Amino acid sequence: MTIKHCDYSQHYRPRMAFTKKIEALVLEMQDPDTGIKTQTQRLVITTIPHAMTGHDILEWIINRLQILDEEAQNIGNLVVQYGYIYPLQEPKNLILRPDGSLYRFQTPYFWPTQQWPAEETDYAIYLAKKNIRKKGVLEDYEKENYNILNIRLNHKWDFVIMQAKEQYRAGKERKKADRVVFEFQERAYWLVHRPPPGAPNVIDYGLDRFSDPNENQVTQKKTFDVYRREIIFNQHSLMKSRVKSSVSLGGIVKYCEQYFNHDPIMTGCLPSNPWLTDDTQFWDLNAPLSEVPTKLRVERWTFSFRELLSDPRGRQDFQLFLRKEFSGENLAFWEACEDLKYGDQSKVKEKAEEVYKTFLAPGARRWINIDGKTMDITVKGLKHPHRYVLDAAQSHIYMLMKKDSYGRYMKSPIFKETLNKAILPEPTKISESKFPFNKRHRRSSPSPVILRQLEQEARAKAAATGPVDITQLCKFTSPIPHLTVYTGFCEPTSPTGTALCDFPPPSPGLMTLPNSTACPSPICVAIESTPASERKFEPSSISTQFLTIAESTEMSVSSDSSTAVVEETKQPSHKSRVALSFSRFLKRGCSNSPIFATLSPKCPAVNSGRVQPMNGEPQHQPQHHHHHHHHHQGQQKTKKTNNFFQIKVDIPSECRIYPIDSEDEEEEDCPNSVKNNTVKEVICPWETITEDGKAG
Amino acid sequence: MFSDVARSLACLTQCRVALETRQILSAEGPACLSRVPEPCSRAVGMLSIWRRSVSEVQALQAAVSVCKKAQASLVRVTACFQQLVLSVGGSSDCSRLREELEETRLRAHQISTGLCSRLTALLTGGRLFGEEQQEVERLWVLFLSGLELLQLELRKAFHLQAVFPLASPRDSRALVNTGASGRSAEVAAQAASVQTPWGEAEEKGEGAPPNLLGHIALLDSMVQEMVQKVNVPIWTVAASEEGDGEMELELEGATSEEMLTTDVEQKRGCFRGWLLCLMP
Repeated sequence: MTIKHCDYSQHYRPRMAFTKKIEALVLEMQDPDTGIKTQTQRLVITTIPHAMTGHDILEWIINRLQILDEEAQNIGNLVVQYGYIYPLQEPKNLILRPDGSLYRFQTPYFWPTQQWPAEETDYAIYLAKKNIRKKGVLEDYEKENYNILNIRLNHKWDFVIMQAKEQYRAGKERKKADRVVFEFQERAYWLVHRPPPGAPNVIDYGLDRFSDPNENQVTQKKTFDVYRREIIFNQHSLMKSRVKSSVSLGGIVKYCEQYFNHDPIMTGCLPSNPWLTDDTQFWDLNAPLSEVPTKLRVERWTFSFRELLSDPRGRQDFQLFLRKEFSGENLAFWEACEDLKYGDQSKVKEKAEEVYKTFLAPGARRWINIDGKTMDITVKGLKHPHRYVLDAAQSHIYMLMKKDSYGRYMKSPIFKETLNKAILPEPTKISESKFPFNKRHRRSSPSPVILRQLEQEARAKAAATGPVDITQLCKFTSPIPHLTVYTGFCEPTSPTGTALCDFPPPSPGLMTLPNSTACPSPICVAIESTPASERKFEPSSISTQFLTIAESTEMSVSSDSSTAVVEETKQPSHKSRVALSFSRFLKRGCSNSPIFATLSPKCPAVNSGRVQPMNGEPQHQPQHHHHHHHHHQGQQKTKKTNNFFQIKVDIPSECRIYPIDSEDEEEEDCPNSVKNNTVKEVICPWETITEDGKAG
Repeated sequence: MFSDVARSLACLTQCRVALETRQILSAEGPACLSRVPEPCSRAVGMLSIWRRSVSEVQALQAAVSVCKKAQASLVRVTACFQQLVLSVGGSSDCSRLREELEETRLRAHQISTGLCSRLTALLTGGRLFGEEQQEVERLWVLFLSGLELLQLELRKAFHLQAVFPLASPRDSRALVNTGASGRSAEVAAQAASVQTPWGEAEEKGEGAPPNLLGHIALLDSMVQEMVQKVNVPIWTVAASEEGDGEMELELEGATSEEMLTTDVEQKRGCFRGWLLCLMP
């Protein structure tokens, strides 16, 4: 009795296509007319018919299948390896010799089949028989197997011995020649199915399969469910996108051509292949976040946006660029989405909430610019967050970055500088003479645990330094001569308009987008840049800028500006230091700052009639924002009035960007500051609805 | 008290004699006991188990030995069957072989069914103790293994006969030239010569013997039934024989091994040693 089925219901041997094919071939070989010529093997005591020479077998295969010598040799080897033909003179050497060595066909009883494997019990009986026949004839590996089986099959060992004896006796009833043949056959069979150590096991197929390959699926009972699944399957197949093979092959060729020089195996790598020269410089230079990337690496960034994003160093560079353009939130959002998709799924809910609060909520700190429909879908999906809930928004942002920022990045001075600084390593000199003495002192690379800790520390430190405010930022950038379109947008939070405007932004650099959804945002002053609008904000010359703005603006808010400023100054006491810095900033002399009209709580009075949709500047707006603006405008009317403030100035395509956006340090700090000052918190819409009243 | 016991013993010996003549069966036993005087009955009760096992032991032992013999014959028949199946599809295949296969199979069927019922009866009877219980359990496990092997052989036979039907002369051309040419009559004869220990009389009432496919399925169901009726954990059975499987070395048997190993050395011409061994 054997215990069967102690597995994960994987009982079925897989399809073995070779059995049918070789069997057909072997059966053809039997034909007395067209088959292989047989000879007689002469042994000492008897002659046994039906032996063939290897040469004859090969010839026959070549003629029958019309193939070349090499291939015929290969097929012949396969036939012998699988045990359909066995060699008579060198039984352990399972190849087809193209000379006069003799072979014979194996009896069909011993052919490999898919239905049943060579059983352990049979093997035990065989070994026992061999042992009985003559003690000590078992080879070493056979002895080992014998002992193992003795232990494993101990409960039926008596049966095994009995059966071995009986089989031996039964075998003796036969003619001598037949007995010899039988022994040959049996030995050949077990050489194939229990190969000696060192010989390859051709029968090995890995694990058993879960479903029976012989089961005829056509006879499956056609239930409603089966049909339903079939319909869905067919519908999906119809929806599959298809590409012409010429197109896809052309793509492959182009890819190969493009990446040929970058492949270290096809073209060598500089400085040198570490495996060959023992010089690990190649890995050091190409570390994920190396200070100075190599030229090849930077060149790869120009291939496609995906390449840029997938390289951490490239992403870093791109991030820097985006910060200057005030579109850093896009990349940050994209990274947050990636984290959600591939990160720890136990924290999905928290991550999704975090993402919503930071990026998607109306008036969020780093609000991203996606169209209303996508926003709707995303927000709805966030009620039941899962891995792919942000997929739509992520692809939107990805395409945005790709079509817009990427192009500008390629032309930007940041990229040019990186490109100039990129190094072309020199090939290492191999001095073979001193090789044993040149052994480099190896250090193991830092453990990933430590790396992760360092990362977290760096992040925490960056957070601890606090939000970068405008005054501080002044130190970092040089004056920007031009100020491009600046759109500010302030949400009056209270109908009365006198309440504290949740005016102080978590960071002075942030500004909400006017052309996006008009978020009833408590954070009304958020300088947020979109790819569509380039904004430069130069603190030191901001006064002048604002003056120029004031001059050039079409807004007639000057009347309010003074009041606004006055009110501004009143407010700092209640605000965080962010606001303080802002007020300092104001005191610098931005007296005439129509901008701050937007920041003032008096905005509603000012702007009800002054709404200037961004759409008025078509050349600055991508088309797709158009309808969303209207859509959201309508939405918000009931709740709040929106301010759209647009100042149009010259937009040079290149300008030094003022890095206001400092993502990391804000993340930890902002919530606090926001919460201190905001009357209304950013609440995820699925949580509670009561906070609406808090607004204003 | 002692005299009572002595008297009860005397009564018991009388009863035992009566029992041994097999005239007093269970019905009479208690009646016999009832004739024992009152004070003896307690002693009789004490000795009843002993009394029972003494007489029944022989019956049980007989049954067990019958089973052993049956198991041995089953093993033999299976071995013969295997030898026959080996030739199916080979150059020595013919319709006679197929017939012999059938006969051997039916033989195996007879033995297996008989043994099955006997073993089941023994183990479910609840009258076995100690060593005998172990012995019968061992036989049980060996029988199950035998059935398994038999079923495998049957499956192979079925498969091979399907691949190599002998219906048309074209098929006989397709028989594989295995070098085997001998008749299998001797093997079949040996199988046929296997005696069922309980004689031929029993099979008459068993119903139609199954065909090959049916036989395979029957074995399955048989094993199922057996496992359900009797609960014998197979790991409790240990090998009673030496791992080496000692057996009298038969000189003749050595030749084939030598032939296999010395094939390569044919050319060396060490003939004399072989010739000596070849003496039948």
